[in-house]
Amino acid sequence: MAETGVDSALTAYETMIDSITDYEIVRLDPEGTILTWPCGARQLTGYSADEVVGRPLTMLYPSDEVPAERLLGELRVAADKGRHKIESWQARRDGARFWASAVLTPIHADDRSVSGYVLVARDVSEARSQEIAMRGMEQMLDAITDYEVIRLDAQGVVQSWNPGAQTLKQYTADEVLGHHVSMFYVEEDIRSGLAEREMAAATRAGRYETEGWRVRKDGSRFWSSISLSPIRDDTGAVTGYVKVARDLSERREQEQLVQRQRDEILELSTPVIQVWDKVLVLPIIGTLDSARAARLTESLLERIAADQAEVVILDISGVPAIDTDVAQHLLKTVEAARLMGTTSILSGVRPETAQAIVHLGIELGKLRSRNSLQDALQLAIRLVGAGATDERTSAHA
Amino acid sequence: MLEQVPLQRIGHTIIVTLQGDLDDATVERIERAVTDQVAKIRARGVLIDVSGLAVVDSFVARVIARLVGMVSLLGAVSTIVGIQPAVAITLVELGVPMEHVHTALNAEQGMQRLRRMWDDAAGHR
Repeated sequence: MAETGVDSALTAYETMIDSITDYEIVRLDPEGTILTWPCGARQLTGYSADEVVGRPLTMLYPSDEVPAERLLGELRVAADKGRHKIESWQARRDGARFWASAVLTPIHADDRSVSGYVLVARDVSEARSQEIAMRGMEQMLDAITDYEVIRLDAQGVVQSWNPGAQTLKQYTADEVLGHHVSMFYVEEDIRSGLAEREMAAATRAGRYETEGWRVRKDGSRFWSSISLSPIRDDTGAVTGYVKVARDLSERREQEQLVQRQRDEILELSTPVIQVWDKVLVLPIIGTLDSARAARLTESLLERIAADQAEVVILDISGVPAIDTDVAQHLLKTVEAARLMGTTSILSGVRPETAQAIVHLGIELGKLRSRNSLQDALQLAIRLVGAGATDERTSAHA
Repeated sequence: MLEQVPLQRIGHTIIVTLQGDLDDATVERIERAVTDQVAKIRARGVLIDVSGLAVVDSFVARVIARLVGMVSLLGAVSTIVGIQPAVAITLVELGVPMEHVHTALNAEQGMQRLRRMWDDAAGHR
């Protein structure tokens, strides 16, 4: 009666084991010979029970990857530790291999001696290849040292940190993981909720790029270019963001330097000199393009207003060639000066310039012109003097 | 807008100051006041001060030209004073025709200029 109970329990147990698919659950004798071959093992390896039962466990493992001695060693370790995990390749009947995660558990007889083992293995190839891909990703991110490439969760909390980020912001991973990304923002941007706005923009547009000030660990600021992209799950919900940032301080400084130098050159190239009371001289040197001409007109008119200059001498002896554009610029300057009430005199007109102006059909109108600066200056003084004479005459009148 | 047109008289000269935003009604009022005054006192010159105008567009330029034309028909001369640098640049860039308009740096020089113009004109009579 009792024996029948044990038998039926055993049958039920074997049926249960047999119904487990995806797992290879095999009983081994103390030497590692396979004793049972349930359904799951058949499915996983392709071997039938006839081909396997009574054969050594080593047949399931490719000998080049897992030699027989190693496998026997693993059995001894399992016997000692009580439980042992083996991760390695297993061979299928058709010669293909899969990455198996197996657990060996010894079965003890009444006298505590090992009477056999149970091997539970399953195919984790997919998980392994994913893990390898993931590790590759991480290594790739770690290899990027000039860029900060980090992951944020949907709320903007930092989830990952790479060496590039550490170089850029000086923080180590421990100091930032779990903190909100706004810790890298300047005061006013934190107050205005810039980080949230950027994430919202990235969610809307699928990608958001910007430039702005960010703060390093030591409190110093740097000009950063930032690209933010949302990470979405299968349902399309945003689960986080990938942020790529780069230090643009150097480029920005370069740009500012170039701009400053350009301004200085423009400033230097448009000097206005007061040579006499109410007489200004504007020596024009080099080619006049529209940017320079605009700048020149502006600084001249401002000087006219400041000095209340009555006469301006435009000296063009330093202009290599007069073409229609240059003449047009000059005439505009002269007209603007006239509207302010100032008379212009052109000076430094060389013979070839005079020929060119006439040949080009440039109409200089009533503009007074002199060959030399000296002549122009004499004319200017006479014009200013005439005004003063008027004043005297009227004072006496 | 200004209810009173700011006009001043110095001898034979009338000084009119343009300032603020000019609309059609204001312009008409100014034109009426200036022409009336020129005729009434037989003025020789009109000095138009635009230094109070920060912006001069083609509308304002036309207003000035019209005023100059009316003054001229009444037998007087006129000059514009106080065109700001930015205004001068705008007028030139807009290509507003201003060739016929006489200008001076400030009121003092504008007065001299008016006197010279009057004398020149008188010489031709």
